[in-house]
Amino acid sequence: METIGGFTLRSSGSLRNSLTFAVRVVMRLLSPRVFNSASRTVLINQIYFTSIQVLPLFLFVAVIFGSMVDGIVFQVLKDLGLTEYLGPLLMGFVVTEIAPFVTVLLIALRSSSAINTEVSVMKVSRELHTLDMFNIDLIDYLFVPRILNGMLSVVLLSNLFSLVVIFVGFLVSIVVFGTGFDAYVDILMTSADLQDLTIVLIKCATFGFFITFIPIHQGLTASQELTSIPIAVLNGMVKVFMAIVIIEVLSLVIRFV
Amino acid sequence: MNAHKPRLGLVSLDAPLISNLAVWSNIGLIRQYHENLPAQDAKRLALDLLGRLHVASIAEKRNPSLTSEERFFAMLLRAAMVRNAIVVLDRPFRILTDHRDGRLILDCLRKLDDLIAETYIFDYTWVKVRYGGADGTEE
Repeated sequence: METIGGFTLRSSGSLRNSLTFAVRVVMRLLSPRVFNSASRTVLINQIYFTSIQVLPLFLFVAVIFGSMVDGIVFQVLKDLGLTEYLGPLLMGFVVTEIAPFVTVLLIALRSSSAINTEVSVMKVSRELHTLDMFNIDLIDYLFVPRILNGMLSVVLLSNLFSLVVIFVGFLVSIVVFGTGFDAYVDILMTSADLQDLTIVLIKCATFGFFITFIPIHQGLTASQELTSIPIAVLNGMVKVFMAIVIIEVLSLVIRFV
Repeated sequence: MNAHKPRLGLVSLDAPLISNLAVWSNIGLIRQYHENLPAQDAKRLALDLLGRLHVASIAEKRNPSLTSEERFFAMLLRAAMVRNAIVVLDRPFRILTDHRDGRLILDCLRKLDDLIAETYIFDYTWVKVRYGGADGTEE
């Protein structure tokens, strides 16, 4: 009983701290005075590292993944005689579910781990203490630009992934169905649902928030010892994965229930 | 100390340079953050000040690749970037490990005199002789 009670108290305390920190970060995100020259420089650098540097790999994954999914899905639809479901499946499954999920996994693997390690190392090497000594607010200078970058990057890259998959889908549909460009666009337009697309945008932004917020928060839990860095990164990445799954499930519930 | 914190420019091993920023960024960051100085202007200012100490070539270097002397210059310039700075040098010979006396420190402080309002050097009493003449008298 004592163990269960202790675990519950620790878990609820940790959750309360995380939520309090999240609320502080969100409040700063909404404050325009946060974006001074230093924060803007960090934001631009972060966008470059997260969204631009990854583009060749990202486009490669999008083309390969898009070809595979489109090829399988279109062939199955043709074999089952369900070609009228081409649009709903492409827009309702590939664009709204697969694209954000693959994007957030790729960004989390690459950037979340980097952010988690970076913050942990800065904590251990007392660089966070340095910023504090020079009256530089950690949330304003370090955290808000990274979190905003996470939100922007996941939204933009997810849309790019969708565009690539749709374009590859067009090429595949020519081969499988012999569809023309106008007919393909018409199928997509009639299947597009504004509510679904809005939910996708919100989901991507939420993904982006948590895959940067959690690594930052976990990075701050590192102590002054080097050995605390891998522990902080490990805990952070596990929590990032759990957050991705929870957000995905919640978005499905909101869409279909 | 908290009362003077907004004017405090600390030079200490306990306040290291930010390792993922170049030297000029470490120096310019203070004005970029507190005075919203555009990045290009901050870089120009940092290069000018590094030039005063004849080390403009280290502008793009990062902390791990600096010599102890270059690291001290960068930390001192960063401290001097605080408006109306009260520069506190905390045991500077912990940074300048190869130096036997304080001539370099005093020379740098003289060159940055217009940027610094007050300077305090905190060190062990037995190191006092290294800041003055051979007989221990201070300059």
